Amino acid sequence: MSYIEFKNVCKQYTMGEITINALNNTNFEIEKGELVVIVGPSGAGKTTALNILGGMDSATSGKVIVDGKDVTRLKNKQLIQYRREDIGFVFQFYNLVQNLTAKENVELATQICKDSLDVEEVLEKVGLKDRMKNFPSQLSGGEQQRVAIARAIAKNPKLLLCDEPTGALDYKTGKQILKLLQDTSRKENMTVIIITHNSAIAPMAHKVIHFKNGTVQKVEYNEKPLPIEEIEW
Amino acid sequence: MKKALIKDSIKEIKNTYKRFLSLLLMAFLGVGFFAGIRATSPDMVNTIDTYYKQQKMYDIQVLSTLGLTEDDINSIKQIDGVDIVEGTYETDGIVELENKEIITKVLCVDELNQPLLVEGELPQNSNECVVEENFLTQNNKAIGDTITVEIENTQNDEGEAIEYLYNKELKIVGNVKSPLYISNERGSSSLGDGKIDYFIYISKDNIQAKDTYTNIYVTLKNAEKYETASSKYEDCVEEVKNKIEDIKEERETARHDELVQKATDKLNDAEAEFNEKKQEADEQIAEAQKKIDDGKAEIESSEAEIKENEEKADSEFANAEKQIASAKQEIQANEKTLQTKEQEANSKISELETQKQSLAGQRDSLNSQLTTLQNTYNSIVSRLQNEELDDQTRKELEQQKQQLESQIQTLNTTIASLTSGITQIEQGINQANTEIAQAKNQLQTAKNQLSSQERKLNQQKSSTYAQLEDAKEQVEQAKVELQQGEQELETQKQDVEQQLQDAEKELIDARQEISEIENPEWYILDRYANSGYASFTQDKESVYNIGQVFPIVFFLVAVLISLTSMTRMVEEQRTQIGTLKALGYNKIQIAGKYMLYSSLACIIGGLLGMAVGFILIPSLIWHMYEVMYQVPEFIVSFNWEYGGAGLILISVCIIGATVYSCIKELRQQPATLMRPKAPKIGKRVLLERVNFIWKRLSFSQKVTIRNIFRYKKRFMMTIIGIFGCTSLILAGFGLKDSIGVLMPNQYEKIFKYDMQINLKEGLNETQKNELINELNQKDEIEETIETTMLTRTAINGENEEDVQIIVPKDQNELEKMISLIDINTEEKIELQKGQIVITDKLAELIGAKQGDTITLKNGEDEKQIVISNITENYVYHYAYMTSETYEELYGKPYETNAILTRNVDMDEEQEENLATEIMNQNEVSSITRNSDVEEVMNTTMESLNYVVVVLIVSAGLLAFAVLYNLSNVNISERIRELATIKVLGFYDKEVYTYVTRETILLTLIGIALGLVGGYFLNYFIIGTCEIEMLRFSKIIHPMSYLYAILITVVFTVIVNIFTYFALKKIDMIESLKSVE
Repeated sequence: MSYIEFKNVCKQYTMGEITINALNNTNFEIEKGELVVIVGPSGAGKTTALNILGGMDSATSGKVIVDGKDVTRLKNKQLIQYRREDIGFVFQFYNLVQNLTAKENVELATQICKDSLDVEEVLEKVGLKDRMKNFPSQLSGGEQQRVAIARAIAKNPKLLLCDEPTGALDYKTGKQILKLLQDTSRKENMTVIIITHNSAIAPMAHKVIHFKNGTVQKVEYNEKPLPIEEIEW
Repeated sequence: MKKALIKDSIKEIKNTYKRFLSLLLMAFLGVGFFAGIRATSPDMVNTIDTYYKQQKMYDIQVLSTLGLTEDDINSIKQIDGVDIVEGTYETDGIVELENKEIITKVLCVDELNQPLLVEGELPQNSNECVVEENFLTQNNKAIGDTITVEIENTQNDEGEAIEYLYNKELKIVGNVKSPLYISNERGSSSLGDGKIDYFIYISKDNIQAKDTYTNIYVTLKNAEKYETASSKYEDCVEEVKNKIEDIKEERETARHDELVQKATDKLNDAEAEFNEKKQEADEQIAEAQKKIDDGKAEIESSEAEIKENEEKADSEFANAEKQIASAKQEIQANEKTLQTKEQEANSKISELETQKQSLAGQRDSLNSQLTTLQNTYNSIVSRLQNEELDDQTRKELEQQKQQLESQIQTLNTTIASLTSGITQIEQGINQANTEIAQAKNQLQTAKNQLSSQERKLNQQKSSTYAQLEDAKEQVEQAKVELQQGEQELETQKQDVEQQLQDAEKELIDARQEISEIENPEWYILDRYANSGYASFTQDKESVYNIGQVFPIVFFLVAVLISLTSMTRMVEEQRTQIGTLKALGYNKIQIAGKYMLYSSLACIIGGLLGMAVGFILIPSLIWHMYEVMYQVPEFIVSFNWEYGGAGLILISVCIIGATVYSCIKELRQQPATLMRPKAPKIGKRVLLERVNFIWKRLSFSQKVTIRNIFRYKKRFMMTIIGIFGCTSLILAGFGLKDSIGVLMPNQYEKIFKYDMQINLKEGLNETQKNELINELNQKDEIEETIETTMLTRTAINGENEEDVQIIVPKDQNELEKMISLIDINTEEKIELQKGQIVITDKLAELIGAKQGDTITLKNGEDEKQIVISNITENYVYHYAYMTSETYEELYGKPYETNAILTRNVDMDEEQEENLATEIMNQNEVSSITRNSDVEEVMNTTMESLNYVVVVLIVSAGLLAFAVLYNLSNVNISERIRELATIKVLGFYDKEVYTYVTRETILLTLIGIALGLVGGYFLNYFIIGTCEIEMLRFSKIIHPMSYLYAILITVVFTVIVNIFTYFALKKIDMIESLKSVE
């Protein structure tokens, strides 16, 4: 059994009289420590799948199993606990709390976790040792995203879910962020899932899942994922 | 505005109906409160004004100490501006019910001050009356029942007592309200326990004592046009009042002269009568004297007569006696002669007797011869008669017979001569005897005559003397009688003298009385003299003042809320604004949407607010006062002036806030606008620089503190909202506390006495002491002290105020009844010689302080005195001084006119009985019971609960409006942040605390400030509501602080519960999906 299993997951939104099938019988599997890239056009269901996986949304039917736990069956409070202990999220727009310094933003996450990592160490890892006391507004986009990643990994989660982490960043900065994620996956043996519509970065992943029309179109495996530095687009 | 934009605006309202509603609600509350509270005071005035006009309430009232006359009415009628002038009769009466006496004011149904009929009909006949509703309900009476009203007789101008009513038995025909009695206060009376319980109206026909009017009521021509209590009305009344004031003196003098004239006439009559009577009495006495004198003369003459008669009788009787004595001698001599003559006669008689006897013997022999002859004759005759007899015989016989016959004849002749001899002898004897008898008879007759004369004389004598004696006695008696008469006359004389003296004294007294007839005094009063009206206007003024302040709180909040709301809205629509701007719409067009949005909210909310506010709020506020007033129906009116003002104000606030938020955004370039707004920049707060504190704070505390400083607008709004809420509640409870302690403070702490017994004037020491002894002997009374009370006007510079001065007979006893506590040192005050202690509110009102000299004025009399201390006091104004000071100041001896008593604890009924008992004492003129005053005040206080409720409700509305809005804004503005922490795995509770920790902290700050603000608000409200007669202590009970805190917390918690669920509903995915 795989570390993460998506089994026949369907997700329907009802908007007035119209029912939209965001996910339609989606199936995939991810192993522990894998860096997975999910690609696909807008509206293919990538984010929905990630949200369900991250416990932010629930599936209409099907099963999502993470480390032997059936996420779809979790009650609200358990779901929160799952998010709090097992999941790290990184968003396109960082979603930092503006009123908190970089360090505080990380602390915001660590203070609620049991096995959290040392905040300063994590920040050092993401290369922001010197900017710890800065407010988000005093940081560049890349730096902000680093803080976001630091916030996510400081919780020491089982899964690191990144939704378009480089979407708002320039090429160079984006690359740095991707490197950080790849390094994290590698060094910490963390399962990292990255959503992107930039299929060019697919080679950096162990597994590439292609979404289309709410379902998994194909899954590619890279026996040897390329380090990000070697990928150009 | 373009059609598309209008459409957009309407859609906007639909989409953001919550925001629209919150704006609308603010406009609703703001306008509603503003217009409602402001309209209350005019509504109150309108209500009373309508009532007064309908019932023809007087504008000016004239009272006089000696009654008012038709002439007074006519002179007032002459004055310009008066409309109706009407004299009426008002007095106090006692209605006896099963177990109690009720004191009523007895009024007449007339053209002015008409009673308002609630039920039944007005009295038409002299045996009917109408009463107030309370009379019926409280005494278990119904229309149709009969009551008996006892009214003291009145005196007419001639000083005769006159029954006040024709009919005492009155049938209740209806129940009414009176414009003269709109409050529960019925005034005081000299009857019973001194308190008037009810009023009744009777027909004017029932009044017997119509000599003078007790009151003259006047309405004014122009007053009708103005609303009562308005300045125009008051000017109009003042003008006529002054005119009446001008004729006052003349009328007073006229009345005085009239009374003097009447009394003088009466006196003159009495004097004439007196003189007449005196003359009559003098005449009578003179006559009596004359009679006595006559009697005396008569007696004297009678005495002389008697004496004369006596003398005459004496001599007469002596003569007679002498005559009798000589007659007696004569008789004796005659008797002797008679005796000798008798003897001679007797011897002659005896001689004759012998002759007679011889003669008789001869005759007898002759007689016997004769008889023999006769017999022979008879036998011859009888033989002759025999026919058979021969003639011879016969002839013989005849011859014999003839012989015989001649013999007989001769014999007879002899006998006859013999007989005549005898007869002669007998005649001689008889003659002699007769002679003797005659002589004897003569003598006897003489004797008899004499003795009868003697007897007669004696009789005459005794009778004469008896008569004389009688006459003497009569004279004696007459003398005694005369003496008695004289004595009687003397006493009568004295009596008459006394009577005359008395009568004369009466006349002198009457003359004295005339000279003492006081000049009557006129009191020209306006409606403010009516206690109901006075307190009504005072209350209306309080409501007005409150109306000036309260809405401000709501406006302030409305501005803040609409500012945050609209700013948020404009910010949310940055992109759209940018787009429109890019499309070429100008600023006004773009801003128009938001203006339209907020204007609609303002207008709809404002109109709704007016609709509700004009009806609900005045009614609600009136409801508090309703228990205190008896007014037909509260009139709520739609007051465009206040409504418009409120609407304009709120529109200025809300639309102004909208414009302010728009301008900020519209200044920017479309490109900037179309980019997401840079989130508010995080900043270090000052506290972070204080490292040692900052370090100690937990992570969440740091976050909270930083957030508080980040959203300054919200920070302000929360604090102001909570501040308003707490202070309103605290002010409400504080008001209750402040006024609540008033009565206990005054009547338990300061005044320890229970009754003030006012004495009648002109009592002497003995009477007073007797009364005091009697009071002291009552079980119910623990202690008494003697005081004298006087009312003066205290003047300090420009300010003056009436004050009651209490002068204890013994200053050491005062503290048993009244605690004098210095307002500054809080120590007991000793009365200083030559100085005065005044109460604090008085000091405040006239602006005097310790050591100042104030003037005590009473009419012309003005005295200066130094204030030694200022004492704590809560109700009315008082001043205290020692009896020595009083004597020194006024130069007259101290004289007790009121007794203060402290009683044992007793219930109301017992106290009432005691009061009635004391009232029955002749020396007592009236009684004031502190429990009565306290009770009246307490009823008023109860209505304060409504004030508290109103304050709490408005506070609650405020708290909800602010906190709910705040929480909404907070959530919508920080939704990304909140979604983020939710994603991070914050439990619902943690999310909630993350957000509300600030709110709670701000609430706490708000509460803390609110407690301070409430203290001052309370101060303000009390200052506004405070009556000059009362000193509200600005005390707030600790419990009230607690209540204010708790209630605010409860409101906050309720809002937070809403927040909790709103937070729970936040959709993380939607919120984080993209930039808006």
